[in-house]
Order: sequence, then C-alpha cells, then structure tokens
Amino acid sequence: MAMSTTDNRQYHIQVAPGEVGKYIFLPGDPGRCEPIAQFFDEPRLVAKNREYETWTGFLDGEMVSVTSTGIGCPSAAIAIEELVKAGSDTFVRVGTSGSMQHHIKPGDLGVIQAAIRDEGTTSHYLPLEFPAVADLDVTRALAVGARSLGKTVHVGISQTKDSFFGQHEPSRMPVASRLDERWKAWMAGGAICSEMEAAGLYIVASTLGVRAGGIMMILGNPEQKPMTEAELKAGAVENVLPAAIEGMRELIRQDNGK
Amino acid sequence: MSEKVHHLQLEKGDVGRYVLLPGDPGRCEPIAQLFDNPRHVATNREYVTYSGYLGDTLVSVVSTGIGCPSSAIAVEELLKVGADTFIRVGTSGAIQTDTPSGQLAIVTAAIRDEGTTSHYLPMEFPAVASGQVVDALVEAGRRTGANTRCGISQSKDSFFGEVEPDRMPMASRLHDRWEAWRRGGAICSEMEASAIFIISQIHGARAGGVMHMMGQGADTDPERALLLSTAVESLRVLIEQDKAGAVWP
Repeated sequence: MAMSTTDNRQYHIQVAPGEVGKYIFLPGDPGRCEPIAQFFDEPRLVAKNREYETWTGFLDGEMVSVTSTGIGCPSAAIAIEELVKAGSDTFVRVGTSGSMQHHIKPGDLGVIQAAIRDEGTTSHYLPLEFPAVADLDVTRALAVGARSLGKTVHVGISQTKDSFFGQHEPSRMPVASRLDERWKAWMAGGAICSEMEAAGLYIVASTLGVRAGGIMMILGNPEQKPMTEAELKAGAVENVLPAAIEGMRELIRQDNGK
Repeated sequence: MSEKVHHLQLEKGDVGRYVLLPGDPGRCEPIAQLFDNPRHVATNREYVTYSGYLGDTLVSVVSTGIGCPSSAIAVEELLKVGADTFIRVGTSGAIQTDTPSGQLAIVTAAIRDEGTTSHYLPMEFPAVASGQVVDALVEAGRRTGANTRCGISQSKDSFFGEVEPDRMPMASRLHDRWEAWRRGGAICSEMEASAIFIISQIHGARAGGVMHMMGQGADTDPERALLLSTAVESLRVLIEQDKAGAVWP
C-alpha cells in the first residue's frame, strides 16, 4: 500500500518533501510545537493531522522544523519514519521526564545518550540486544548548548517506557512487584530519567542511518512523591526550550564547520 | 592475609585508574612497551597485568581472556583495586561490507548478544560507552593518523557462530540476526565490549573500545601497530583532560 499521496505528502504527518528542514525538534505534545516555533525566524504552520503538528522556520539561516510525536513509541516511530521520507535527517527530542536519581532535581536537564528499550515498538525493528543509542555529535551539541546557558546538565541513559501509570502508580498494577524490581534495576544501572519516546527514535534512526538525540526537563523524584511549589516552577517545560534551541544551533554550527 | 583480588591477583596500588583491556594475554607486553618504565605485575589464568607510566600517571594493561564471562571478572576486580577508566583494545570482524581492512572501530555502544550481562541488568538496558572515552579515542586517532570509524559493535559469545554459521544447527537464526545487526548500522563484531560497558555503567566508571577491523583486503603490520598506539594515545588525552578538571562535553 502506498503510504503517501501523489505529491508525496506523508500519510500520517501530512508533510511533503520541501516543507520541512533537515533539522527537526520532536516534542511529544502538539501544544508545544507553536512555542518552539516562536524561537524560529519566519515560523509557519505546515500541517496538522492526528497528534502530528508541524511548523517550519529558520535558525541562523538553516531551515528547521518541529513536529509533535504524540505520546509513546508507536506514534513517535511513525513520525520519524515519515519525516525521513520527507527529507529530514537530524532529530532532537525535547520534552519532560521523571528523575531516576536522588541527586537529579527538577529544573535540571537530561541529555539522553542511550535509552532502555522498555517498550514494544523497537522489537519490530531489531532484537532487544541492540542498543538504543543517540548520535554522539547530537548528544555533545545538546550538552554544550545547555551548559552555555548555565543549566545543570546530566548526560546519561533514560528509561523509555510504554506505561505512564506503570511508572507513576506502580502499586495498583497486577505486575507491581515486577515494575518495582525493574525500576530499582534501572536506578542501580545509573539511568537518569524516565520518558516514553527516546528508544523508539534512536532505534528507528539507527536503521535509517539518520541522527537523533534528546534533551529533557527533569521533573519529580525516583519515589514519585509530589513536587514542591519551587520544584514545579523550576521544572516548567518552558525552561528546557531555550536549551534545546541553543543545542540545535550548536549542532548546525558544527555541521557547517564553524 | 592476602588482600589480592581472587582471579587477577592484584592489590590496591598495583594498577592505575587507566587500564587498557586486550583479550589476548600475549598482547599485554607489546602494549606495556609503549608505557614508560613498564613492569610485569601479575599473571594468573588468562589474566596478565603490566603497569607503567604515561608522564607521571600510573597506567596499566590487563588481558581479559576471550568472552564476557572472563571480562566481567576482570572489570569487577579492577574496580575493587581502584581502576575507573577502561579501554578495550583488540581485533574484530567487520560487519559493514565497505570496511577497508585495518580501519579502527571506535565502539560507541554494544549489542548484548551474550549471556553475561543479563545477570546484571535486563536486556532492555543499553550497553553504551562513555562519550568522553569515545571522543578521546577519536582525538587519539587524529594524532596517530589512524583511519577510524565510530559505531556499534556486536558482542557475541560464539566465535564460530560468526565465522562458520552454516554448520550450526541454528544457522538461519544466526544469519537473520547478523543481517539485522548490519542493517541496524553495527560496524564490528567482537566478544567483550558489552560486559565492559554494562559493568562500568553500573559503577559509574568510564569505558570505551577501539578495535582493529578485519575487512576487505590484507592486514599490514603498521595497521596493527596503529591500533596499540591509538589506544595508548587515548589514555594520554584522558589524563590531560582529567588533570585539567574538564567536564565532558
């Protein structure tokens, strides 16, 4: 079945080649696309279909876009597949995540170097032994960009999970003891944060030969205790956006040999 | 009572923070010749240890033997005696068909196609190298003039499952998985990296690897020499960074 129209408009994201840049921001939430696009020069809405919203503009003269993935690896895998068909090759996931270490606090930023494949999508691509790993140039640029803004940055491994409530309310799940045991294993392995899309993006990117990375606002704590007012303020998602933009600028500069 | 760790027969002070990890015990002495004032420290089973200096910094080379079971023991015991930076150095098979023989793979992450690391963490957890070590190896390759390529390695338990898959009862599965690794972008196949990476990750230690790839065309001795000199040079890069108190990246 052909999954695009005669003008190569992609089936789910409704984007055609030429409408997006090589460089793409990937938030989960469609509502975050416009705020990210406001950092671009000449931002314009390109397409809107299902959970996929796309804006395109320019950063330092380079065409860049933002496309929402929706929540989870199933929809994120579709987004990156179709964006590659439309000509993109560099992806930066940006969003929120839960802290998995006591020294990592709300308001800190996590740059995801690799991801735990605790989800069901990527085993349709590669056996579970294969590592979900970010492109190191993207990882380095995101960390350098965020640090240049004075942010506290942790570079490390994220847990990419399929169940939000399995993380936040594990005790009510029939498999509670398994969830608890695995959460402790991820912590002991040094994982820094928990989110829901990175593994899908990294594995699909590896199979397509494109680059991906991710930068996350850190929220919460490993025990899922409520956050204080001050923590909620520090962890506002708006606080990660300038760092993601600066990281992309840094990457564009590196790619252009500057 | 001896304070020596059981298998490596080392105690604190015998080795530096920085350790090169070849598989072959016979490669320890040639590597140690690239250190200043090298001395043989211990030999037990497949574990041979030499220590020496790069500038004023103590560095070591310890053989792991073949495979993740013996490599895991080496890393665990080296952590106990104070090491915290590990660079695997050795030989590998090329996975991508366009690999020129003698190109060096700088390993960024490893496929956990082995039985050891699932005793540590579930299979979903990635075996990933330290970005700082990867960057140090890239910089070392620039300094030595080595032809390098960064990418993912397959860490397998069966050498003959790779080189003679057709005689294995599960030949078709071996072929399918090899093709999956290739299409996933993996660049080389070896037998120890995933255990070194997973155990280092758990302990907050740094690990990476540089592998000579046997690909198209004949190997030459100068290429083999470049593998060892690049590995040693990467330690110099890390020592410089650590002395400067650099935070990666």
